[in-house]
Amino acid sequence: MARSPVEGPEQLFHFTPAARAAFPRTRRGAEPGEKLLITGIAGGLGRLIARRLGDYFRVAGVDRSPWEGFPPNVSMHVVDLRKRKFEDVFRIERPDALVHHAFVRHFRSDPRVRHEVNVLGTKRVLEYAIAYGVKRVVVLSSSYVYGALPDNPFYMNEDFPLNVSRTYPEVRDLAEVDTLATAFLWQHPEVTTAILRPVNTLGYYTNSAIRRYLSQRWVPTIMGFNPMWQFIHEEDVAEAVALALQSGTHGVFNVAGPGAVPLKVAIRETGGTAVPLPEPVARAVFGRLFRLGLYHTPPGAIDFLKYPCVLDGEAFQRAAGFTPLFSLEDTFASVRH
Amino acid sequence: MVLAPIVSLSRAVTDALPRSIHALQHEIDERMLRIPTRLNAYGYDPWGFHPDSARRSMLITALLYHYWFRVETHGIDRIPRGRALLISNHAGQIALDAAMIVVACFFEAEPPRVVRGMGEYWLPTVPWLNELMVRTGSVVGTRKNAIDLLKNEEAVISFPEGIRGMNKLIWERYQLQEFGQGFMRLALETDTPIVPIAVVGSEEQAIAIANARPLAHLLGMPAFPVTITFPWLGLLGLLPFPVKYHIYFGQPMRFTGNPSDEDEVIGEKVEQVKARIATMLADGLAARRSLFW
Repeated sequence: MARSPVEGPEQLFHFTPAARAAFPRTRRGAEPGEKLLITGIAGGLGRLIARRLGDYFRVAGVDRSPWEGFPPNVSMHVVDLRKRKFEDVFRIERPDALVHHAFVRHFRSDPRVRHEVNVLGTKRVLEYAIAYGVKRVVVLSSSYVYGALPDNPFYMNEDFPLNVSRTYPEVRDLAEVDTLATAFLWQHPEVTTAILRPVNTLGYYTNSAIRRYLSQRWVPTIMGFNPMWQFIHEEDVAEAVALALQSGTHGVFNVAGPGAVPLKVAIRETGGTAVPLPEPVARAVFGRLFRLGLYHTPPGAIDFLKYPCVLDGEAFQRAAGFTPLFSLEDTFASVRH
Repeated sequence: MVLAPIVSLSRAVTDALPRSIHALQHEIDERMLRIPTRLNAYGYDPWGFHPDSARRSMLITALLYHYWFRVETHGIDRIPRGRALLISNHAGQIALDAAMIVVACFFEAEPPRVVRGMGEYWLPTVPWLNELMVRTGSVVGTRKNAIDLLKNEEAVISFPEGIRGMNKLIWERYQLQEFGQGFMRLALETDTPIVPIAVVGSEEQAIAIANARPLAHLLGMPAFPVTITFPWLGLLGLLPFPVKYHIYFGQPMRFTGNPSDEDEVIGEKVEQVKARIATMLADGLAARRSLFW
């Protein structure tokens, strides 16, 4: 049966346009020419944010790995944020605004390093932000903090509990980062802070876990399960960061993309082939492979292949006027292999 | 697709049966094009409803509707356009009354409506069943899901008797059990009209004589009905009697008030709905000529 899709951008709620006036904007957005520090600038998304904001801000960046051929308008520092020298970056640059994006999201390194960089690193970055008078902060958290549980509603909003560690303890540091940042938001109302939780991010530059998962030729799935997944293009995430800074948005926000599709549609559209495995087999095989270091994702991730973790992006839409520019088709096309 | 077994089964059935089945599938397809639900470029709505999958399972329930239960629907035009909360009595050991209301709203209403069910919390953990539930338009019955669906002008069905009604024994038929209050709070919060529904027939489709609670507990099921055919005839014993169904849709009821009022205040409004359904059931029973025609 053929049915042509409805024209126009996909919207979750098409009954009334969102009332903009419901969110009074008392905070001022960033002025052109402010100094912006991006941590984790050499990562795919960091580079995109730097390029997206390079004309508006004076951009400084810090990363522990160098960025070959960084643009001339970026002042680049190669330093590990666990090192004492990291504070010098704040001392020299004196940033007005900060985008915190320096996280280890893969499992190839020592879990202790992951914890130090993510949790202790975030704590230090936020402490320096206060000590050196940063006026606005954007922290890029992720949608995974909510966890994938069978009784998740579709379209969880921001006050939903961060349940991920219940079934996926390996990424509890991401929930801790989010909690640290939220505590900072309440403790320092003088700093305009936006904590963004973007959904599964795909794109040419981003090397996310979900990108690696979908770029396999044969993609393991769980037999009898096909949850809805949301995707967003990396350019739209960069756009969300820019909007948060420029509109002076303060709060915790889900950043939802153009829509949701079943996991197997996403696998098909990115050029892979789904291989359904019975759950006990998948748990046993991937658990062992992961412990031996032969597979990149811990078995806790299996719940994300079974249950939905789908976010309601309405609050950010209203507060910052954000709408994704890239459709689902564009997003899948950007990583098709 | 995961729904392959259903697809192949229904294909086998359609090929073996006379032309009227093709006509029925054709009618389903034609009506599916006219549902007011918006779909994305891949044919899914925001809650995972997928008409291309639903049309196949709809054929099976439509066959039950037309030929097994020979359902007669009364007052379907009382369902308002836009958001609506359908509230019905619940009985019969297996939730075929829900399926028959869904088919009625799809086949008899203009434009056809896809009624959104609120599934039990354990359903998403069952392989395949979880996907079937979502693709045919149902979701887990959380408050947020219900609110979002209603705000999106969908028709949501709820059985406030829940399991208490479904697993009644045969001598308790047509006695409404205690109503939960969640649906009323939801209606008040989203300003949704409530459509009372009385299903006559479903309460006699399975003659349950006991509920083996310890066994249910052991199997992790909400109830273990013992009927005059189940479990004695095995799974075949679950097949309901071909009683005739009458589904009565009542005038929409509108309520106003604070959704977080105390239980007594909400309970009063709930009782009004319950009383209306009880009256409709009594009228339906009085008008019925026989159990089977």
